[in-house]
Amino acid sequence: MPDLSIIFDVGVVALRILLPVYAIVIVYQCYAAMRRRRRTEKPLVTLCNMKTGNVIPVLFWENSIGRSKSSDVVVQDLAVSRNHCVLLRRSEGWFITDTGSTGGTFVNGVPVEGRAQVLINDVITIGSTDFEFRRGDEFQAPLKSSWFFSKVSDKPAIRPWKLMLMVTLFHFFMAVEAMFWNDGTNVYAPIVLFGALAAVEWGFFSVSYFAFRRVNFELESLGLFLTGIGVMMLVRQVEKSAYVQLIAAAVGMVIFCVIIKLIENPDKISRLRFPMMIVAVLLLLTSILFGKITKGAANWIFIGPFSIQPSELVKIIYIFIGAGTLDRLQTKQNLLEFIIFSVVCVGLLALMGDFGTALIFFVTFLLISFMRSGDIKTVILAVAAAAFGVTFVLRFKPYVADRFKAWRHVWEYAQAEGYQQTHVLTFIASGGLFGVGVGNGYLKQVAASESDLVFGLLAEEMGIIVAITIALSVALLVIYTRAITTRSRSTFYSISACCAAGLLVVQLSLNVFGATDLLPLTGVTFPFISSGGSSIMSVWGLLAFIKAADERTYSLKR
Amino acid sequence: MKRIMRRTTLILIFALAFIGGIGFFSFELIVNAGSWVDQPYNAHVSGGNGLEQAGAIYDRNGYVLAETQDSDRIYNDNISVRKGLLHTVGDNSLNISTAVQSKYRSQLSGYSLIWGLNMPKSMRNTHDITLTVDATTCAAAYDVLAGYGKKGACVVYNYKTGEVICSVSTPGYDPADPPEINESNESEYEGVYLDNVLSSVYAPGSIFKIVTSAAAIENMPDLYSRTWNCTGEKEIGGHTVTCTEQHGEIDYKTAMSHSCNIAFAEIAVELGKDVMNSTAKKAGINNSYEIDDVNTAKGHFDVTKADENQLAWSGIGQYDDAVNPMQMAIMCGAIGNGGKAVNPTYIKDGSGDLLQLIGFKKPDEFQLFNGDTANQLNDVMRYTVSDYYNYQRSGLFEGLSVCAKTGTAEVGEEKAPNAWMVGYAQDEDAPLAFACVVEDAGYGFEFACPVADAAMKAAAACLRGEG
Repeated sequence: MPDLSIIFDVGVVALRILLPVYAIVIVYQCYAAMRRRRRTEKPLVTLCNMKTGNVIPVLFWENSIGRSKSSDVVVQDLAVSRNHCVLLRRSEGWFITDTGSTGGTFVNGVPVEGRAQVLINDVITIGSTDFEFRRGDEFQAPLKSSWFFSKVSDKPAIRPWKLMLMVTLFHFFMAVEAMFWNDGTNVYAPIVLFGALAAVEWGFFSVSYFAFRRVNFELESLGLFLTGIGVMMLVRQVEKSAYVQLIAAAVGMVIFCVIIKLIENPDKISRLRFPMMIVAVLLLLTSILFGKITKGAANWIFIGPFSIQPSELVKIIYIFIGAGTLDRLQTKQNLLEFIIFSVVCVGLLALMGDFGTALIFFVTFLLISFMRSGDIKTVILAVAAAAFGVTFVLRFKPYVADRFKAWRHVWEYAQAEGYQQTHVLTFIASGGLFGVGVGNGYLKQVAASESDLVFGLLAEEMGIIVAITIALSVALLVIYTRAITTRSRSTFYSISACCAAGLLVVQLSLNVFGATDLLPLTGVTFPFISSGGSSIMSVWGLLAFIKAADERTYSLKR
Repeated sequence: MKRIMRRTTLILIFALAFIGGIGFFSFELIVNAGSWVDQPYNAHVSGGNGLEQAGAIYDRNGYVLAETQDSDRIYNDNISVRKGLLHTVGDNSLNISTAVQSKYRSQLSGYSLIWGLNMPKSMRNTHDITLTVDATTCAAAYDVLAGYGKKGACVVYNYKTGEVICSVSTPGYDPADPPEINESNESEYEGVYLDNVLSSVYAPGSIFKIVTSAAAIENMPDLYSRTWNCTGEKEIGGHTVTCTEQHGEIDYKTAMSHSCNIAFAEIAVELGKDVMNSTAKKAGINNSYEIDDVNTAKGHFDVTKADENQLAWSGIGQYDDAVNPMQMAIMCGAIGNGGKAVNPTYIKDGSGDLLQLIGFKKPDEFQLFNGDTANQLNDVMRYTVSDYYNYQRSGLFEGLSVCAKTGTAEVGEEKAPNAWMVGYAQDEDAPLAFACVVEDAGYGFEFACPVADAAMKAAAACLRGEG
């Protein structure tokens, strides 16, 4: 009779080694799927210089044409303005918009006012240069593709439902671990929670697959993978908040779908800008007037058992308003509006006095300013940024000083300011590569371990490999976003996606490095994983921008 | 679009910075994980049954001092051994931070970078540790020392190899039946978690005359031809210095053996502050020694700001002089070893890669006295025993040729003096140095000497028994 305990033990060892490998495989599959089903790199249309016969490929959905070297189509003609006009592709066809050029733009000799449609074989006159508008397939020279999309077959890497099955199975293993490690009370709680989680996951998948008829689900799969881990981690900590988190995540997925639907037509977004601004200001005002003041910051509104941080949602609106289509950016439309809106937000945030939120908002502001600004706009926005910075420092100085005291010296303040970080480090080291098992850790007894210190909780219970894999899977969204930038249907999508991805990485860095004492602890959440209703909603909202930037989202249907 | 693409470099930098930060953190984790784990609050190793995974602790002869049986921590079956080695081995509470069981608990529990503290049971390779101490010697010393009911310490170590044979600290308690310390009995257990051998300092009294002697040997060419006149007290620097007896006309060697305060007070004044400071410094009085990851409490000698009377008192181990028992054993060992000290260690062996895990290395050696000074101190300390102590007590250190010095350090009006005895044996087969102190006791010879006698005899028997 073989010793059963040894067989059991070997099984546990195998599972613990396989789980991190499994996590890596899932993340790899999500990213592999993002590269597939792409159109090959070839021009959409071409512009043929009628004088020289030179053929210029037009690669993007929105193209700036001008004398400036950074234009998408550079025209070497002194009669052409630096940023002369914008050539856009929309579902109705191709259009051209003059962006305040001195010489004007003409289609078949007719001056362009507002947006003019361009048809194949039309003649576009810019300055003293005439272009014939031709089909793209006439252009034969090979084009360099982004490495992310080069040498990739057109076949899907993995069928979406298989990827989702892998994700669900991972959560199931977590539930089994959490059942194994328990204090004897409510042994079956994890499996019940897993059932609810699986229902949400597959519900979302079905909506996307059957209702929206979307082919691609890898970005959502990644989001669900991470969200599910966050939810499962809570089951042995505060079971109730696991359900709150799950509900909030489901709401986040609804927000995700709504945002994608709202911004489907980049030209109609401008109509939404003003109502959105009103909503944002109202949200901030609500939290100042009705917010419960905790730790000196009036950032939370309590509605029954739910607490909401309106500023998290305002962040999304802020990106929404900051981004714009290329012709709007180039004509500096709405710039004043944006600056006024920024100043109002800054003022309201200063009144609120929450350090983490203000920091994240500041980063959002910098990111969006940088992504949209070109020349003179940079100056104006930088001034606004400086004003923001000064307000920031004056407002939070004593608070910041306190945080910096223990920074990089946490062991000297192990019982005071460094208490949380030293516990995180100790328990990360105790977890080793494979962790002590879901629910079997001790960091969960430390305050804020499910939010600010969640990286430590992950590393202790699931091992440092899983923790780092998860962190990297969020950071790598930047690579994906960068790769799809020039393939977005409008600069609106690429700017908002880049801001969203940048913001996710900044939040991730502040959270992970704050908990591990590489940076001061700021109380910023870990995207998808940290417990917190408004946080998870806003993260799903941010993910919507990235999803929308992928041209397959709107064009590829089953 | 190209412009937007170019601006995405910013977020790419963010992502790369994050990846770099993760790399840096991984590096920090690999380097520091061992010490991060070793925290008193880490419930994976301490707490309820934290020691259930720890390996066994043996004495030098393989007697079990502590081991885990069926997830219970079992200690040696002799109560004197348990109490005597409490501060060396530790107990379940891990309150004694310098004890092996506390400071090496993660290594004893089988911590590894890969598995953290959760190595699967079938793979777990708990580590056992063998200490240099001898259980029998410690029990013998403890029984005598604890008989006084005072705070104290006794340490015996092999000054050739550095192995600590005996290390006992009182007050102690039984680790198998730890007391519940509350308001009503806390005075009884005051300082109970402190290993007095390593972590306490005491006024040295006359044992400091060894250091003053070293200064005199090196700086007074006519030392052996000089005499001093002791009338029981003398006015130096405007205040009196007192002696225990009226020694009359007395030479240096007799002044040492009879511990004449007047002679040594005058020697200290004559040598002056600088010589006294530099000799004390060279003898390592102000040092802290690192012994198996524990730093000994620092002694203290500094007469820079002393007046003449205080300088006189400092030469006989009063003023604000302070020394640590382990430090005194090291100093005496150096004298016995021709001036060269060997840093003590409690660790003899470990199973598996334990020694590597705890970073064990061969004990350091360092010079505390010149060879000639050591030889002359050797003579005079041997003379102290053969000329004086041996007549006071028959059978003292029988079978050993011991060189020693007692001390009776006044510590204030409310308390009786600290009783000291320090020294070493010259015997080739028992190269043992010792230091014993009993707080709030009385004469060194009356209180410290019996402890030293018991400890040295047992330790010598132990070494000789090993052949």
